Order: sequence, then structure tokens, then C-alpha cells
Amino acid sequence: MSNKKTILVIDDEPDTLTFFSSLLEDNGYATITADNGETGLKRLEEQIPDLITLDVTMPEMSGVEYYRTLRSNEKWKNIPIIIITGISDDFKKFISSRKSVPAPSGYLSKPVEPKELLNMTKDILK
Amino acid sequence: MEIPFQQLFENMPCYLTVQDRDLKVIMANDRFQKDFGSYEGRYCYQVYKNSPYKCEYCAVEKTFADGLQRTSEEKVKCQDGRDVSVLINTTPIRDNNGDIVAVMEMSTDVTNIKNLQRSFKENQERYKLLFEEVPCFISIQNENLEIINANRLFREHFGSVLGMKCFEVYKHRKEECFPCKVRQTFEDGEIHSHEEVVTTKNGRSMNCMVNTAPIRDINGNITKVIEMSSDITELRDLQDKLTSIGLLISSISHGIKGLLNGLNGGIYLVNKGIESDNKERLTKGWDIVLRNVDRIRSMVMDILYYAKDREPNWEQISAVEFAQDTYDVLKDKAKEMSIEFTANIDENVGDFDCDKNAIRALLVNLIENSLDACRVDKSKAEHHVSFAVTGDDDYVVFTIKDNGIGMDRETRDKAFSLFFSSKGGDGTGLGLFIANKICKSHGGVIHLESKPLKGCEFNVKLPRRSIDLSSRDFK
Repeated sequence: MSNKKTILVIDDEPDTLTFFSSLLEDNGYATITADNGETGLKRLEEQIPDLITLDVTMPEMSGVEYYRTLRSNEKWKNIPIIIITGISDDFKKFISSRKSVPAPSGYLSKPVEPKELLNMTKDILK
Repeated sequence: MEIPFQQLFENMPCYLTVQDRDLKVIMANDRFQKDFGSYEGRYCYQVYKNSPYKCEYCAVEKTFADGLQRTSEEKVKCQDGRDVSVLINTTPIRDNNGDIVAVMEMSTDVTNIKNLQRSFKENQERYKLLFEEVPCFISIQNENLEIINANRLFREHFGSVLGMKCFEVYKHRKEECFPCKVRQTFEDGEIHSHEEVVTTKNGRSMNCMVNTAPIRDINGNITKVIEMSSDITELRDLQDKLTSIGLLISSISHGIKGLLNGLNGGIYLVNKGIESDNKERLTKGWDIVLRNVDRIRSMVMDILYYAKDREPNWEQISAVEFAQDTYDVLKDKAKEMSIEFTANIDENVGDFDCDKNAIRALLVNLIENSLDACRVDKSKAEHHVSFAVTGDDDYVVFTIKDNGIGMDRETRDKAFSLFFSSKGGDGTGLGLFIANKICKSHGGVIHLESKPLKGCEFNVKLPRRSIDLSSRDFK
């Protein structure tokens, strides 16, 4: 079995999924992908990843709903999450306005620079 | 102390004359002679008015007739040309037998009082004019909230409503507003301002800024309240537009961030492909770059279309040729995306009137939407989009059908709303809004059927002949 760290990439935009999974795989991580929150929950039933990168604005189940679901679930609440969105400032405000929800491990704003994502991933998983 | 009659007569602070039955002046005091000159042998109307005829109403004559004292008002002319308003009192002079032998006429100069009266009346008229013509709605209410006066603009928009209660007129209902600003002004004597939505007699809804102020009587008691309302509907509309521009900017910047992220991904793969001499990676990356550049192009076109209200540039065109051209624009794109794209064009559909460029933008928008819906759908191995045109005597109908990701009810209901997008970072929420706007500007309608994971069907129904645009509101 591989000892690579696994990252679940959740984004509704296929180009972004291709981008992040290629980047992370090129740098020694294993990736699994989901195109919305609901699929993202199914992936968790199959495998608990070491880290999740999460888009906010998605159809079916938004990143906000997905985040709250994970944080209120014993099994999943400790999985580190990086929020990656074009509206991360709004998401920060959302999180800070609800003290009961713990802050995510990191935020990245789109467009994401490859180095930013890699450095943050490395920091969180060290 | 005895004051001689003559001295008293001469020094009276008014014009004093004594006239005989023929109205000839037989005696006059100094003040009279000073202002009107010599009276010797002259009649009163000659002296007072420089007129050859006696006055229509003559108080002296009346007093001669019945022996009663009379009062009247006249305007007379001094020898220096000055007009003087006088208050006239007449009284009979009798002989020892009690017969009237003369009449004494006392005329008091009331010019200043008259001028004050005139000035007061002019001011009243001016205030009335101001009240009537000021460009806002003015009503005056009593303590029962009954309208006891209203200006012209108010009457024009709300009708002749004297005696009705303000809430009946402004709100068309039987319950008083809460809180009622007129009542507050009655209670505290303060000016109150607030915004209301009112309805005119023609049913037009209007945003009004309402100000109330007390009207007090001479003792300082508030007896009425004046209510002044300005129509600020245009201001509110402008604010809505500014808000929508703000939303547009936020939506666009969010969309652009997503597209730039896609471009970053494409560039990353291209670079890695070149570095590792991996053509597959390079091609994959380049496809992403091209796709995102294309999306930026179409986003810019959408923004430009949104930014400008355009009247259709009507022309009569062949529906068949037009549909074929539209199909040709997108068939390569569909092929690159590995989506089957078919056209079913009824050769007998004939001509129709439209703005060719606008309707092409509409159809391209819907077809691209369908292609995108197929691209993001991972539930099926094969995807197809079909494009058809049919027609009857009155309408031409374009149908775009796909088996892509589909829409749930909420998404379908909001699909044509401004700034609504189900595409996350990929959409500005402009595309379908603009498609619908173009369709409406042609007097047409877009019908949408969709179910999640089952795909979408758009029917664009356009009148075959152009409509009178001026009679419609397309905004």
C-alpha cells in the first residue's frame, strides 16, 4: 500500500479539478476528486483523506454546507480543510460570524498559484 | 374752552365737504382744498373724480333721499394726480323745520390700509400659488386624519379626496398606518420624515419621501398637520440599478477569478508538458487554456450586452440558413468536447423577422449552456445536444435539447434571473438572463424543461413578424 498522503479535491469546475489533482500528484500526493459536496461526502465513506481542498460555490451541496456537515461529524471533524474559492473573504466573514464553527486549516483565493497550494498543503500535513 | 366751529371744521384730519341737493360743493375744509383745489361752483364728482358725470352710487344722494347716514368706499384723484382711497360717511344737515337742506360728506384717507389689504391679498395669492404648484403632493389633515385641503399635483394623482382619510387615499385601505406620522406631529409638534410606498388613483405604485409639519392657530395649538410627499421612485430605481451594477461587478470578479484559476491550471499543464516532453499533458493543458479564453470572451460579450439596452435591428431572414449558420458556429466546439451535436432543420420553415446578431447570440448562449451541462455531467458516458427549428404561420421555434447534468426545480425556477448561476465560479449569472432579455425584445418566450441528471430542453418561440416595440417594456 502506498504511503502517499491522500488529498480530496472538491470543486464543481472540471478544469480546476484537473489543475489541482495534476499539481498535487506531480508533487507526491495521491488525489481523489468530487464535483460537489454530496459526492464529496460519498468519497469520505470510501476513504478518509489526509486533507480536503474545498470550493465554496457549488451546485447540489455548497462548500459551506459541506464544511458544516464535516465539522459536526465525530468521524470527519478533524480532517484538515483548505477553503479555495473566489469569494474567500465572504467565507471568512461567514465563519467568523458563527463562533461555533471552528476555522478551517487554511484559505486560498482563486486564482491559485501552484506554489501557494503546495506550501500550504506541506505545512498542514507535516 | 370753546373751540370755534369753523376752526374745528377746517382742522378735521379728513376731507370735509357740504353739498347741496344738486351735489354742488358749497363748503369744504382746508385739507380738501389743499388736495383737490377750488370747489367754487363745482360738483363733487367734478372735484373728487374729475368726471363730468355723477357717481353710479352716490351716498350723498341717498342721504338726501331718506335722511339716513351712509357709508361707502371710493377711489378719488387729487389735483397732483395721486389716487386716494377714501372711506365716506354722509350725514344730513337739517333746517329748523327738520328739512334736509344739505349733506355733509366726510372722507377719510384709507390708502395705507387699502395698500396693506392689497399686499395681504397678494401674499395670500402667492402662497396659494406656491401651495398649488409646488412639485410635490401636499395635503392638510385634521385631527381625524381627514384631508381638508390638497394641492393640484395631489388632486391629479389621487383625485378629489376632500373629507377622505389620508390612508384611504394613499394606501387604498381602511386601517390607519402604524406608526402614523401625522398623529405623531399632532402629539409632539415635531416635523417627521419617513419613506412610504403609496398607490395613485390609477394604481401606479410610487415611492414617496413624506414630511409632516404642524399648523398652529393664533394660540399656538396644533389644529392641522401639513403632509408633503415627494415622488422618489426614480431615485429608488436608480439605486436598484446601482445595486445591480454592484452585484454585476461582484459576480463578474468572482467569475473571472474562476476563469483565471482555470487558465492557471492550463498553463501549469502546458509548462509541465513542455518540461517533460509529454504531448498528452501539453494538449490537455492547451485545451484548458483555449476553453477558458473562450469563456472570458463570451463573458465580456455578455457584459457588453447587459451594459447596453439595444433595440432589435430588424431584418427578414431565412430561418433555415440562419439555423444552419448557427449550427456551424458550434459544431467544431461540440466535437472537441466529444459531445454529439445534431441539427434537425425543417426545410419548409420559411422566413422570419429578427435581429440576426442578437438571436444568434441567444441561441449560441443556450447551446453553449447545453454543451457545458454535458461537460460537467459525469453520470453518463455519452452526451448529445440537438438543435432543431420548426415553424407555423405565426411563430418560429428553436429547440435545444441535451442530456447533460440537468437542473433541479430551484435552479430551473431561477435560471433566467439576473446573477443567478449554478455553475459556481464558472458563471456570471448573465448568460440566460440576457438570452431571455433578447427573446423578450423580439416579443418571444423561452420555455425550459429540465430534471436533474436528465438534461434540459429550451424552446425559443419567436413571432414570425416583428412587433411594435414601443408598446412594450423590455427592461
